Amino acid sequence: MKTLSTLTTAAALLATTASSVFAQCSNDTWNKIMDRGTIVVGVKADTKPWGYLNSDGSLIGMEADMAAQVAETLGVELELVGVQSSNRMQFLEQGKIDLMIATMSDRADRRDIVGVVQPNYYTSGTNIMAPKALGFTDWSQLKDKPVCGKQGAFYNKIIEERHGAEVIAFTGNAEAKQALRDKKCVAWVYDDSSIAADLASGEYGDYEMPLKTEDDNPWGLAVPKGEESCVFGKFMSGMQYGWLQSGELLELEEKWGIQQSQFLIDQQDRFVDWLSE
Amino acid sequence: MDRHLHTGSTDLPVILEPTYKTPDPLGFSRWLASLPLWTFPVMASLIVIWPTIASAQTAYSTSAALGILWKWLPLLVTKGFAQNILISLFTMLFGTLSGVLLGLGRVSDVGIIRKFSWLMVQVFRNSPWLVLLFIVMLTLPFEIQVGGSYIAIPDWMKAVFGLSLPIMANIAEIVRGAIQSVPSAQWEAAESLAFSRRQTMWQIILPQCFKRMLPPWMNWFAILTMATPLVSLLGVSELVTLSRQAMEAEGNNPSLLVPFFGFALLIFFVYCYPIARLTVRLERKFALKG
Amino acid sequence: MIELIQEYFRTMAENHPKWNFIFFYEPRQWERVVSGLIVTLQLSVVCVVLSVIIGVVGALAQSSPIRFVRWLVQGYIQIFRNTPPMIQLLFFYFALGQFTPTVTGADGWTEQPIISNVGWAIISLSFFAGAFNVEIFRAGIEAVPKSTQEAAEALGFNRAQIYTNVTFPLALRVSLPSLNNNLINLVKTTTQAIAIAVPELLYEMVSIWNDYSSAQNAAMTVLFFAYIGLVGILALGMNRWEHKLMVPGFGKNS
Repeated sequence: MKTLSTLTTAAALLATTASSVFAQCSNDTWNKIMDRGTIVVGVKADTKPWGYLNSDGSLIGMEADMAAQVAETLGVELELVGVQSSNRMQFLEQGKIDLMIATMSDRADRRDIVGVVQPNYYTSGTNIMAPKALGFTDWSQLKDKPVCGKQGAFYNKIIEERHGAEVIAFTGNAEAKQALRDKKCVAWVYDDSSIAADLASGEYGDYEMPLKTEDDNPWGLAVPKGEESCVFGKFMSGMQYGWLQSGELLELEEKWGIQQSQFLIDQQDRFVDWLSE
Repeated sequence: MDRHLHTGSTDLPVILEPTYKTPDPLGFSRWLASLPLWTFPVMASLIVIWPTIASAQTAYSTSAALGILWKWLPLLVTKGFAQNILISLFTMLFGTLSGVLLGLGRVSDVGIIRKFSWLMVQVFRNSPWLVLLFIVMLTLPFEIQVGGSYIAIPDWMKAVFGLSLPIMANIAEIVRGAIQSVPSAQWEAAESLAFSRRQTMWQIILPQCFKRMLPPWMNWFAILTMATPLVSLLGVSELVTLSRQAMEAEGNNPSLLVPFFGFALLIFFVYCYPIARLTVRLERKFALKG
Repeated sequence: MIELIQEYFRTMAENHPKWNFIFFYEPRQWERVVSGLIVTLQLSVVCVVLSVIIGVVGALAQSSPIRFVRWLVQGYIQIFRNTPPMIQLLFFYFALGQFTPTVTGADGWTEQPIISNVGWAIISLSFFAGAFNVEIFRAGIEAVPKSTQEAAEALGFNRAQIYTNVTFPLALRVSLPSLNNNLINLVKTTTQAIAIAVPELLYEMVSIWNDYSSAQNAAMTVLFFAYIGLVGILALGMNRWEHKLMVPGFGKNS
C-alpha cells in the first residue's frame, strides 16, 4: 500500500516536472505542417547553385534539393519560397515560411531571432573574387579600396572595420558582380563557396580567389525560434546529422558542380558508424 | 482671364498669368500618344544591336544573348510583368477609393476633418515613395486574424498598401481641384433648391467632377505602373526582380544586361501606349468649353 | 549632455529590445547616419544647381529655330519626367557606365571609371529634375509680356540688359512656386539612389538595420521623420524666399 502510494506520488511528481519542462512545446509549426500536408521552405532565389531560378519559374539548387528531401521524409508536399539575405529571418519569424535553408551563416545575434539547430550542415568563410591582374595577396591590400558586396551580409561590417575597405553594398549579387565586371570596384566580397562555384562555372576566367579565407563560419538552417527545442527542431537536427553521416551533401555538391568541401569530408569521418565496414 | 496689376494709371499688365503652373497632367500620355508606331520596332532593334556594340569583354554573341532572353521570356511576362500590372491595378483601386474620401475630407465643412486631411495629404505627398514602401512592408504583419481564421497578406499586397499611400494623397488633390473647379453657382443653385450638402456633393458636384478627374487619374495610373519596379528593392517578385534572378542563373554575363532591362523598358512602354492614346482621346472628348 | 542622451537610449534598448536607437549612443553608427545625411544633402544641392543649369539651357533650346532640336528637347522632357527615376539610375549606371572612359589607378591596372556611382546618381537625378525645370523656366519667361520688354527697349536697354534687369527677375518670381515643388521632389527622389549603392541616408539606415536587426523599428521611425523634417525645412525656407520676392498685389498661384 505504502509503496503504491509512494510510486503514484513519484509518478505524479515526475509527470508534472516533465510536463512543466516541456510545457513550452506547443509544436505549432510542426502541427501546422502536418495538418496542412505542406511544408513551406525558404531558399535563395539568386545564389547559384544553392538556390536559383529555373526558366520555368521553379526554384532549383542544392538547398532546394535538401528541402525536397525534408518534405519527402516528412511525407508532405513541398512549397518553395524565394528569400533574400535581407528578409529570410523576418519571413521565418513572421511564419511566412516554416523552415529556412538559405545559405545563412550561423551567428550569435541571429540565433536570438531564429532557431538554428545543430549540427551545422555546411561552412564557408569570407573571401573575395578579384581580377587576376590585380594580384592581391593579402587582406590588408584592400584598405581604402572600393569592394562590392551584397546588402545584408554580416561580413561587410567586418571587412570595413578590420581591413579598412570601403564596402559598396548592392541589393543583389547580380548588380555587385556586374559592378565588379565594370571595374567599379576592385573585388567582390562573399562566401568562398559561392565564389568557388562562380569561378568553376567558367564565366569568370579573368578572376581568381586569391586571399586566405577568413572567418570560417558554419552555415545554419533555421526553424522558428519556438520550435528550436521541440519536435521540429529535433527533427531538423536529425536530418542534418543524416546528411552529414551519409555523405548525401557531398553527392549534392557533385551534382551541382560545387567544389568538394573539406568540411563535409571531415564531418563524414567524424560521424562514421563504428559498426560499418 | 488675365489677372492684371492695376496701378490705376495703366491697363498694361505687369506680369501675365503664367501659362503653366504644374506639370501638364497629361504630359506623359500626350507624348506617348504622339509617338509614331515605328518607334517600337526601332526600340526593339536597338535592343538587338546593342549587345554587338557592347561586346567588349563578353563571350555572348547577339543571337546567344537573345536566345537566353527568349528562354526566359514566358516567365518574365507571366510571372513578372503580370505581377506589375496586378500591383498597379490594386494600388489604383485602393488609392482611388481612399483618395476620393480624403479629397472630400479636404473640402469638408468640419474643421477637424479638413485639417486632418490636409495633414495626411502633406505627409504622404512629401514622403519619398521608397521610404513609405520600406516602412509599410516591414511593419505590416504577413497575416491578420479575422475572427478565428488567418488571412495571409502576400508580399505584393503589402507593396500595394505601401504604394497606395502616395497615390491616395495625389488623387485627393485631383479630387479637391476638381471639386473646387465647379462653379460656385452650382452650389448656390443646389442650395436654393433645398439640396442638403451631402446630396449636392454626391448628386450634382461629383458627377461633373468625374469627367474632369478622369484624364489626370489615368495619367497617375501610367506613372504608377512605371513606378512599380521600386518594389523589387524590397524583394517582391516582379519583372525587375525576376530579370535580376534570371541573369544570376545565367552567370551574370554583362551582355545580358541591356537585353533584359531593355525588354523591361519595352514592355512597359507597350503597355502604357494604348492607355496614353485613350487618355488623350478622353480628354479631348471631355474637354470643357471656357 | 551627450552622455545623458546616450545613457537614455542605451537603457531604452535594454528595456525595449525592439527599439534599439543604436545610432544615438554608438559613435560609429552615428557617423554612418551623419555621413548618409551629408551625402543626401550633397546630392540634393549639386543636383539642384545642375538641374537649374539644364533647365535654362533646355528652355533656350526649346525656342530654337531648328525643328529637330525642339523635338529632341520635347522628347527628353517627356521621357525623364514620366519614367521612374530608379530605372533612369539603373540605366545610367549599368548600361551607360560600360562606356565611360576609365582612369588607370596607381597600381597600374585598376581602372576606376571617371564617374563613380555617386557621379552617375548626380547626372541621372539632375537630368530628371532638369526636365521639369525646362518647362518651368519656359513658362516663367513667357509670362513676362512683350509690352514690358518693348517698353524697356524704348528706354534704351540693350538685349542683354533687358534679359538681366527685366525678364529674368520677373521670370524668377513667377517660377518660384514650381521650382519649390521641384526641389522637394528632388530631395524625395535621392532615396532611389540606393538602387546603385549610393551611400545616402536610406542606404545607411538599411545597412544599420541589416547589421543590428533590433534597430529596425528605431531606424525606420527616424528615417521617416528625418525626410519629413528635411522637406519641411526646405519648404519653409523656400516659402520665406517666395514671400520676400513676391510682387505686391500679385498674390500666389494655386
